Amino acid sequence: MRTPDRGASAKFPPFVIGCAGESRIAQSDEVVCVRNRQKLSGHFLRMCAFLHHVIGTPNVERETTVQRYPWETVIKAAMRKYPNPMNPSVVGVDVLDRNLDTHGRLHSHRLLSTEWGLPGIVRAILGTNRTLTYIKEHSIVDPDEKKMELCSTNITLTNLVSVDERLVYRPHPENPDVTVLTQEAIITVKGVSLSSYLEGLMALTMSANARKGWDAIEWIIQNSEREKVPLCDLC
Amino acid sequence: MNSVGEGCTELKREYDQCFNRWFAEKFLKGDRSGDPCTEMFKKYQLCVQKAIKDKDIPIDGVEFMGPNKEKPES
Repeated sequence: MRTPDRGASAKFPPFVIGCAGESRIAQSDEVVCVRNRQKLSGHFLRMCAFLHHVIGTPNVERETTVQRYPWETVIKAAMRKYPNPMNPSVVGVDVLDRNLDTHGRLHSHRLLSTEWGLPGIVRAILGTNRTLTYIKEHSIVDPDEKKMELCSTNITLTNLVSVDERLVYRPHPENPDVTVLTQEAIITVKGVSLSSYLEGLMALTMSANARKGWDAIEWIIQNSEREKVPLCDLC
Repeated sequence: MNSVGEGCTELKREYDQCFNRWFAEKFLKGDRSGDPCTEMFKKYQLCVQKAIKDKDIPIDGVEFMGPNKEKPES
């Protein structure tokens, strides 16, 4: 990613968004907010910073956290992440495609639906009865390198806002019983009307990857018995 | 967890159970022998693809929605 321009009136250089081999270039009328990048004029920067804060995405461009479970246990939980009480807005998950690539890595393409639960009056203002937003997710599990990468982006409300999130799970280099999660999110804001902000805010508060990403994984690990496929070899 | 298509949830659950087992017991342990879930996946997929079409979910493109716009024709 490039160093951003200063000056709100300058044309933005191409800004690449995306991961796992699927990237796109931000259009010139998009306003890209990457926390700490200072790419925007004050107004949009403040709004994006607020949105990052509201949905609990990392305060720095990339946030790294650790959890005391081995990588395999975490990955098994991550593949079965929904439902969990930390992400109540995710109401549907489907696998659209799954395949092994030539390097033996497992690719999964999934569709997630999230329900806003908007009150009727808000829906009337927004002029839509649609309260479901859809997210597509691409994950790649490399069992040899021990790396799982997940990328997600919304596929509805794309004319208003894009939330591109990327998570990478790897074993801790010094301790195989610990897993490291690296997480980042890029919010791209389009449109300047008040209702656009409102819709964007709603979509972002329902982000499938909430702040407490580890809480969800931990819950799944501890509740694995219910599916009769234990996650850990000691269960 | 439900499927995006209400009628597909049972097929989804059967496939998920098969996949989770294969993933934990074969794939992560380096066993590259065949995937036992392909038939189940096909049935599940037929259902899901139909639901996606019926609900106009823009899986291959972008959807434009705004306060003054009608839901577009696909």
